[in-house]
Amino acid sequence: MVTETQQRLDETHAAAAPVIEVRELVKVYKGGTRAVDGVSFTVAEGEFFGFLGPNGAGKTTTIRILATLLRPTSGSAKVSGIDVLAHPGEVRREVGFAMQTVAVDPLATGRENLELIGRLRRVPASELQGRIDELLVLMKLTESQKKVVGTYSGGMKRRLDLATALLHRPKVLFLDEPTEGLDPQSRNALWEELESVNRSGTTMFLTTHYMEEADRLCKRIAIVDEGKIVVEGTPAELKRTVGNDVVELQLEADSPNELERQRSGIGRMLEGFEPVAEIKSSPAGVQLYVSDAAAAIPELVRRLDGDGIRIGALTMHQPSLDDVFMRYTGKTIREEQANVHFTGWY
Amino acid sequence: MIGVAYETFLLGRRAFLRWARVPGNWISTLFFPLIQLVLFSQLFKDIIQLPGFKESSYLAYLAPGQIVFAVFLGVSWVGINLLMDYHNGYLDKLRVTPINRISILFGEMVPLFVTCAMMAAVILVTSLALGASLVTGIPGALGILALSGLFGIAWAGTSFVPALITKNEQAAGSLSLLFFPLAFMSTAFVPVERMPGWLQVVNNWNPISYVIEAQRALMSTGFDAGLIGKALLAMAILFIVTQAATIWAFRRLTA
Repeated sequence: MVTETQQRLDETHAAAAPVIEVRELVKVYKGGTRAVDGVSFTVAEGEFFGFLGPNGAGKTTTIRILATLLRPTSGSAKVSGIDVLAHPGEVRREVGFAMQTVAVDPLATGRENLELIGRLRRVPASELQGRIDELLVLMKLTESQKKVVGTYSGGMKRRLDLATALLHRPKVLFLDEPTEGLDPQSRNALWEELESVNRSGTTMFLTTHYMEEADRLCKRIAIVDEGKIVVEGTPAELKRTVGNDVVELQLEADSPNELERQRSGIGRMLEGFEPVAEIKSSPAGVQLYVSDAAAAIPELVRRLDGDGIRIGALTMHQPSLDDVFMRYTGKTIREEQANVHFTGWY
Repeated sequence: MIGVAYETFLLGRRAFLRWARVPGNWISTLFFPLIQLVLFSQLFKDIIQLPGFKESSYLAYLAPGQIVFAVFLGVSWVGINLLMDYHNGYLDKLRVTPINRISILFGEMVPLFVTCAMMAAVILVTSLALGASLVTGIPGALGILALSGLFGIAWAGTSFVPALITKNEQAAGSLSLLFFPLAFMSTAFVPVERMPGWLQVVNNWNPISYVIEAQRALMSTGFDAGLIGKALLAMAILFIVTQAATIWAFRRLTA
């Protein structure tokens, strides 16, 4: 009896199964780098989900495992209910993948690029040309479709690459740093296109190290660092966990010791000053989490007058995802970017 | 099977257009054998009087060797195309589509038959224009082109294997240079009778010579089933060895 009930429960679960289901995923590369270190998450149908984190956090490795390009060391992953290890071929039918490196054939025209991938994906011949026209319009490439792709700008290549990933109307679209290397204008345009793809029902899984991108596009994000998910939620929820306004003090100091002395001085001087909820050190000074900062700043500055505290600049802002990242990892995303390293397929 | 054939056709057409759209590819390949054909046939004109040559002129002797030489050069860098797709992400793009992965390799191999036959045709036509004869006529010419195309596919493994194993364009390029002496040690320039003893032994195992001899017969003496059979056998053995190594290296790269 118990097993029967259990079985029925499992079936109900299966019916409402998430589109992406990742459990305890681990990837250790040859040489011992733990690129992904026990990651679990689920993404519901139609959702726009994002991995936000610095380069080297394990984002690309995770997305490559989900797209069947890389085998995990342990753990499991299902896409559209299909196990990526057991049935990679079936997963490939369901997904589209726009990679970090734009992969288009520079010696073929835009349209030829689309026709080749469309035929390899067995889009029926009766639909293919119409589908290509549709995508060319969506990606604003109709006029340049007969030009050789080698002559395209970076933004156009990105959009063409995205179109090749959408030809077969995938259930899930994987996007690895989709706007990397684009100017702000092209980035904004691409965001709009991604939103319209999502509106048409495609589940989106995106990785990025741009907070604005995650904030703007993703309904839910996971912040990742060093192969682990640090925290997960909607951007608004995550920002609420920071709660207060963020006041950033940049300090003028000639040596690290001097900087450290000023930091602890600030800690002492603000002790018992109620609006300040938390003090964290930041690369060039300190970050204060302050309630109603606008009202508290005059008194705050007065308190910090003296004891050799030299404030070079004071900025305040509403909490951003970068503050969320800072709060949970003690680092900023930007300073983590130095270490870009593609480890290949192994 | 039908799936692989269709995918090979689609990817092969892409590889062919990629080749055809960069004229530098075939101009630079044909330059060297054409120069050798024109220059050596004049420079060493009198060598034909030595015993061992059965042809009417050194040009007639030299032409088949240069046809095979052009194919040899033409496929010496083809593995690098796959490597470029690997580095720029296009190979990954194909790996995410639900195709049979071996189609990606076949798509690079199969068009070599066409491109090699086309390059062979240029050398053949040039040598006829310079005065070489073709005793077997149009059927013989087609035979020469077919042998050239097959040789291209069979020899291409010497370029694919170093490229796929090293994953480095420069290393792959210089490793395929190691095969160059084999072309000079063949009967492209002098008949086996004029070779020192040790080279005659090497020559017995040189597949390039067998292809050249079959083509030379088609140009100057007629259809020689024995020579054509030997050429096909030599290419079949070469094909099996190089393809096995290439498929192994390709699987290793795209696992």
